[in-house]
Amino acid sequence: MMAPLARSRMRGVVIHAVLFIVLGFWMVPQVYMLSIGLRTPAQAFDAALFTWPVTFDNFVTVIRDNPLGGIFLNSLIITVATVAIVVAVSSLFAFACAILRLKGSMLLYTTLLTTLMVPLASMVLPLAILLKNFGWVNTYIGLILPYAALGVPFAMVILKAFMEDAPRELFEAARVDGCNAWQTYWHVALPLVRPALVFVTIWQFIVTWNEFFLALIVLTRSEMKTLTIVPMQYSGLYMANPGALFAILTLIALPLILLYVLVQRAFVRGLLAGAVKG
Amino acid sequence: MRAGAAVAAVRRRSASRASTLYLFALPATLLFVVFVAYPILWVAEQSFYAGRTDGAAVFAGLANYRSVLSDPTFWIVVRNMALWCVITIPVQMLIGGLLAYFIERHTHALRGFFRTMFFLPVVTSVSVISLVWVQIYAPYYGIAQEYLRHVGIVMMTSPIGDPKTAIYALIVVNIWQWTGFSMLMYIAGIANLPSEVLDAARIDGAKGWRLAVHVIVPMLAPATKSLLLLGVIGTLQTFPIVHLMTGGGPNRASEVFGTFIFKQSFVLGDTGSGAALSVIVLVIALALSLIQIAVLGARLSPAGKEKP
Repeated sequence: MMAPLARSRMRGVVIHAVLFIVLGFWMVPQVYMLSIGLRTPAQAFDAALFTWPVTFDNFVTVIRDNPLGGIFLNSLIITVATVAIVVAVSSLFAFACAILRLKGSMLLYTTLLTTLMVPLASMVLPLAILLKNFGWVNTYIGLILPYAALGVPFAMVILKAFMEDAPRELFEAARVDGCNAWQTYWHVALPLVRPALVFVTIWQFIVTWNEFFLALIVLTRSEMKTLTIVPMQYSGLYMANPGALFAILTLIALPLILLYVLVQRAFVRGLLAGAVKG
Repeated sequence: MRAGAAVAAVRRRSASRASTLYLFALPATLLFVVFVAYPILWVAEQSFYAGRTDGAAVFAGLANYRSVLSDPTFWIVVRNMALWCVITIPVQMLIGGLLAYFIERHTHALRGFFRTMFFLPVVTSVSVISLVWVQIYAPYYGIAQEYLRHVGIVMMTSPIGDPKTAIYALIVVNIWQWTGFSMLMYIAGIANLPSEVLDAARIDGAKGWRLAVHVIVPMLAPATKSLLLLGVIGTLQTFPIVHLMTGGGPNRASEVFGTFIFKQSFVLGDTGSGAALSVIVLVIALALSLIQIAVLGARLSPAGKEKP
């Protein structure tokens, strides 16, 4: 008969082993992508997950031959601007609802909330026409503002919930000390909801960076395109050369993966700080 | 007299101060009006007009809706979307929930590692994912046919090239990409379970699976409801995976609302039926969401926090 401690250790080992096996299967697509990118032309069509030897030639070629820096910059500009607007606008709105409790703000809140029920698929046609009328096709602003409008409701829900949970005495104290609304917002409310701000920032960054549908329609000029919509054109360009195609796909996927690995701790902390409480 | 003027001045000042407070709500409202509300009203109006070759639009009543609803493709789309919902949502919940349970309750040093690795598909660009899966599914040189042969599954063609299997092959990709999201939602739910309740259940003798099924699963209901709501809306806006992997084919067999709207509006340039379709999708989304909110008490946000 095993001692309870040994049994629980045994169970821990088994569970870890199973998790690693599942993870192994889960990682197949990403490993496969990297593996094809590291192949010589002769091995490129081998039906195998791994081949040997590996070569970095494909990466050298695609970096040399393609303006990836400019495309990366397009993604970065659009994403950073969208995130900044979403965080600023949604936190202001959440402050108006949760702390200032302006008359009518709850009605507005509920109205804005319906955005979360609107699938982007039903918005692309009207947004495309609207942006055309504004002359905003192939501009950064043509994506930034619609993205912001669609991102604000989710951010505002989270920030409002966090502000409502903050101790009201702090806001009373700020008022007594002579802070006006803006000062209270900046010096009291924002620092109090920091984990939520971090969470909203990271989530909005991921969503915006990877958005495909609207970007496909709004960005038609090649020098404006973002990382998410260029893979299609490379799949045509490198049809006969999968090694180069998958090298470039790896490079396209890499920035956000690296970023997420760097910030995941803060992201999950924000999520655990009360995100899915019921 | 002077006192009255002073009171009026104070009142005026506080009124103007109150109105400046509305500046806090203004930017969000403006964004909503210009980029959400106005486009929806515009598309609703357009759905009743038919574009003419000379560019002018004429009122067409319900003609656009009639032509959309009588298009056999529309019903393929409805069937595909129903399949998509019914398969992806429960499977993602099940796998995501199991992963979350084992990671949260049985790992310590590697917890962050597992949480991150299973979430990576969510942050991997969907267009990259789509092209990688096209390669996986490819006949002759793809790894799916190569490795599945060893377990007795023989694929003669790519599953996305066959009208009968295409939609299921796409659903697999979608499940693979989004299970990490369900996992993270459940992780947040499990991490926030009140430990007193768990201790009480344990004292009552609930252990292992009994504890999981009878105590933890019911307590994760808020996360489950959020995932259901998000899953339905997510399904209705499915686009990149289908657009990039099959383009809705072969023979329109894997068409979804996103690709259907895209084709009608931007490939065929038929704004009228594109608008009618947009409105139909919108109405379906609102109706399903409201039903869930009314029946299940589901909340709109994945991170919606309810006040106690």
